[in-house]
Amino acid sequence: MEEEIELLKRRLVREKTARLQAEAILEKKALALYNANEQLLHLNENLEQQIRDKLAELRESEQRYRQLIESVQDIIYKVSPNGFFTFVSPVVEKLLGYTEEEFLNSHFTSVVKPGYRKVLIDFYRTMMSERQDSTYIEFPVLAKDGRTVWIGQTVRLIETYGQIEELVAVARDISDRKLAEMELETTQTRLSTLITNLQSGVMVEDERGRVILANALFCDIFQLPLTPDQLVGYDCTEARQQVKQLFAQPEQFISRMDELLTGRQACVGEEISMANGRILELDYIPIFLDASQYMGHLWKYTDVTEKYMARELIRRSEEKYRGIMNNMELGLFEVDNDQIIVRSYERCCQMLGYSEAEMVGKNAIDLLVPAEFVGIVERQQQERQQGIAGSYELQLTKKDGSRIWVLVSGVPIQDEHGTVVGSMSIHYDMNERKQLEHELARAKQYAEEAQQAEKQFFANMSHEIRTPLNAIIGMSHLLYDTQPSTQQREYINILKTSADFLHSLISDLLDMTKIEAGQIEVHARPFDLAGLLRSTQKVFEMKLQGRPISIDVLLDTRITNAFIGDDVMLNQIIMNLVGNAEKFTEEGQIQIIGKVKKEEADKSWIEFTVSDTGVGIPADKIDLVFQKFKQVNSQGYKHKGTGLGLAITKELVELQGGTISVRSQEGVGSSFTFIIPYTKSKVQVEQKNNVDKQLVMAEELKTCSVLVVEDNLMNQTYIGNLLTKWNVPHIMASDGKQAVEQAKKQPFDIILMDIQMPIMNGYEATVAIRSTQNPNQHAPIIALTASAMLDHKSIAMEAGMSDFLTKPFEPAQLLSILQRFAPSATIDSEGCILFHKALDRKRLSDLYGTDAAYASEMFSLFLTDVVPDIRTLPGLCAAQNWPVLANATHRLKPTLAMVGLSTLEERMRQLEKKARQDEDKSRLEADCHSFVDELDKMIPILETELQMLSQL
Amino acid sequence: MKGIVFTEFLEMIEDKFGYALVDQLLEESDLPSGGIYTAIGTYNHAEIITLVKLLSQKTNVDESDLLRSYGQYMFSAFTRSYRPFVDRSASAFDLLSSVQHYIHVEVRKLYPDAELPHFAIDQPSVNHLRMHYTSERKLSDFAHGLIEGCLANFGERATIVKTNLIEDGSQVLFDIVKA
Repeated sequence: MEEEIELLKRRLVREKTARLQAEAILEKKALALYNANEQLLHLNENLEQQIRDKLAELRESEQRYRQLIESVQDIIYKVSPNGFFTFVSPVVEKLLGYTEEEFLNSHFTSVVKPGYRKVLIDFYRTMMSERQDSTYIEFPVLAKDGRTVWIGQTVRLIETYGQIEELVAVARDISDRKLAEMELETTQTRLSTLITNLQSGVMVEDERGRVILANALFCDIFQLPLTPDQLVGYDCTEARQQVKQLFAQPEQFISRMDELLTGRQACVGEEISMANGRILELDYIPIFLDASQYMGHLWKYTDVTEKYMARELIRRSEEKYRGIMNNMELGLFEVDNDQIIVRSYERCCQMLGYSEAEMVGKNAIDLLVPAEFVGIVERQQQERQQGIAGSYELQLTKKDGSRIWVLVSGVPIQDEHGTVVGSMSIHYDMNERKQLEHELARAKQYAEEAQQAEKQFFANMSHEIRTPLNAIIGMSHLLYDTQPSTQQREYINILKTSADFLHSLISDLLDMTKIEAGQIEVHARPFDLAGLLRSTQKVFEMKLQGRPISIDVLLDTRITNAFIGDDVMLNQIIMNLVGNAEKFTEEGQIQIIGKVKKEEADKSWIEFTVSDTGVGIPADKIDLVFQKFKQVNSQGYKHKGTGLGLAITKELVELQGGTISVRSQEGVGSSFTFIIPYTKSKVQVEQKNNVDKQLVMAEELKTCSVLVVEDNLMNQTYIGNLLTKWNVPHIMASDGKQAVEQAKKQPFDIILMDIQMPIMNGYEATVAIRSTQNPNQHAPIIALTASAMLDHKSIAMEAGMSDFLTKPFEPAQLLSILQRFAPSATIDSEGCILFHKALDRKRLSDLYGTDAAYASEMFSLFLTDVVPDIRTLPGLCAAQNWPVLANATHRLKPTLAMVGLSTLEERMRQLEKKARQDEDKSRLEADCHSFVDELDKMIPILETELQMLSQL
Repeated sequence: MKGIVFTEFLEMIEDKFGYALVDQLLEESDLPSGGIYTAIGTYNHAEIITLVKLLSQKTNVDESDLLRSYGQYMFSAFTRSYRPFVDRSASAFDLLSSVQHYIHVEVRKLYPDAELPHFAIDQPSVNHLRMHYTSERKLSDFAHGLIEGCLANFGERATIVKTNLIEDGSQVLFDIVKA
């Protein structure tokens, strides 16, 4: 219990002590609280005063700032964190044209130029999310009037308690700077693009020898393992030492560089050879600021290897051509449009004897061209002006005054715009050639004259040679009637044989010549083959009268119809072969065999064989028979030949597409076989009766009638007189048309038809008569033509004419024609007229024989009618009426022969020829005049002749 | 050390063993304060260690168990004296999470001289809380009891794994996983 009380006492003491302890603590706390309260009260009062002061201070400061804000040129504005304007300084209106009211509460991007808005929003979002204090950015805005204004703005974040309150921006118009920057940037881009893409290596060095700019090509050229940027800052002097081995002459390169650097004079287009064979072109440009301050320099290296090579090629080529030009035989000089010589090449100078200095600057025409050639040069010059090149010949005067013939080739020279600025003339010295040409022309003239003469010779052969031959033959016939002695008869025989031989020789020669000249053509027409063979048989039957030789024709029965082919040629072949057979056969038989060898649809191959029982041909000579001038006449056979007969025969066969061969046995006979293809004729040819008529003897002739178709009055008279003399009734027609009309009226035994006539020519008239129903449809028509050419006979035959008579013909020829085709009378040809020696006596005798009255009439006619016509020729020349001139000369030509003016006849022939040809007719008029002069000289002689004739 | 730790400790001994043991403890321990405590006073913390040691000898209960029990008791004492702190938390984790940044902050306002342990707290998941205890007083068992008291107050069950990070117990990790 005691213990318990003790315990409680201790507890009580503890509780009490604890309470006192707690009270003391509390008392201390309370006092502390009181003091704290007192201090707080004071603090509060103090704070209120401070706030008032600060607020006043703030207002003042704000006022100042506002004034500051309003006075600065920069726009100061605030935006809320979501981007809306909450404040903007008034200067905005001045800069952008918007009022403050327009700005406030609009979004800050609303004035930003489209395209920059998103960038700006992102920029400021980043700024806010990263709590960046301050940022700067530049962007364009659109002013109210549409201008673009570049703004550079600084923005600060305003934060309160970690929250972004607003953004404050100071925006400045930086347009001027921006534009300048952009311009600078563009310029820089352009320049750097230019430098990068320049086809040259470029390097710019500063005044201390450091690289400040280079391009890639520069690095490539010098094989630098660096980019242009890496090169910047390099020491150039050192670099030059490193790359100098790339140059063909390293030390020379370095010393040239040093020279340039010391001189500081721009140097352009200097060529440098590299060790690798390339050629560089170097430009050195020193850079000066304000014309005096040296700022370094620019090197430019351009690879001009290709250009260099091309130029080198051109230079070499030019050198080559200059060498050629100077060495060739052509003189070149160039003139400008005023003919002033601008250049003369060496060879040209040599050619003309001038030095180049003497020629250049002179007028080419004045200096070189003789007066008569100035016209040619000026005409050529006009062509040059039109850009046409041309060549011509002229003479030039050399320095020593002599002349030189040159062939000039003139070429216009054009500048790069194609304008003719002059011309270049190339002169070929053709003095020698000209001389040669002259000689050649003369030679050609001779040759032509010779050829002409030859032609003339052949053309006249029939007349000029055959006529006297005929006279000889005729005379020898007459001699038989003069009761010659046996010896005389023998002489006459030899004379006649020789004349016959001569006649055939000339005929054969003429034919051969024509064949070889290609003048003989095959003229195919329907003909009666059987009739032709039979008439040949008949001719030879008569010839062989009294000789023990029979001539037979054996014909294939299939040869009934007519064939189309050249009957004239066939006749000649058969005549030649049968003539040959007759010559070499003493007795026995000559056979003409015709058979069809081969038959095709429209063609028949006819085989002809002419065989005889004559002497035959020795086997060793048989190959020679068809060769020209080879005679197989071993025994000196009595019949001489020309040696051409078989050669001509062979040619004629082959001309017609045929072949000929011979078989022979000496002492037994010969057999000539030829095959010719003929086209089958659809029409049956009338059996000609002329063959029979040929055989009619002169004494059997009866009275017949003749139609003479002739436009030439003289010929009309000539023929008319002959016919009258022979008591042959005749009618005249002046042209083809009249002839056709006459032919309708009455039957004629013979029609003599001139070929060249006005209105309707002889061929046409013949065709008209043959093809229409009239009494003369089958009458013989004989062509009269001034042409002596045998091939005209074929044309006449094709037209349907029966034979051919060449003017001028002798009475006997006409008579023989008449005798062949119709009854006629004989003619007395005794006596002779002696003509003036200036005339062609022989010809006149042939023409007129003893008929003085006829001659008188012809001479009179010539003087009254023909001479006035001839006098019109010069007038036709002057009028240049060439076709009329040609016809007139042709018409007048034969009349000259009628009065013995053979020389003038020949000259007339020349005139006709010139009038027909296209060549230069400039001298024709003069020729006509001289012709008339010559004629005038002859007129007194003709008048005297006429007087004498009329007295006979 | 705040006086309330002593006053409540002695209150608990009196409740469980009667005041005679309290008196015996105070008489036998030579305490600088003479065993006289008021809740608002501040005393040397070595005195509570002395008292716990002596009580352990007297009752044959481990010191740590005594401190843990005292923690549990202390939390219910807090619920009485500092109800508003408890009421503003919706759950035990809620309250435990706010110890360092809220409760201790408020304690210092009232008692600027208070010496408080430091807690680093993280919550890997909704039902998992880690409390990192650091204190030179090395009274983690007392803290253990307080945590348990807190859970009990909210009627929640959880497994508490206590790991000494430093052997002397000045740093300890409480890994609390709610059931």
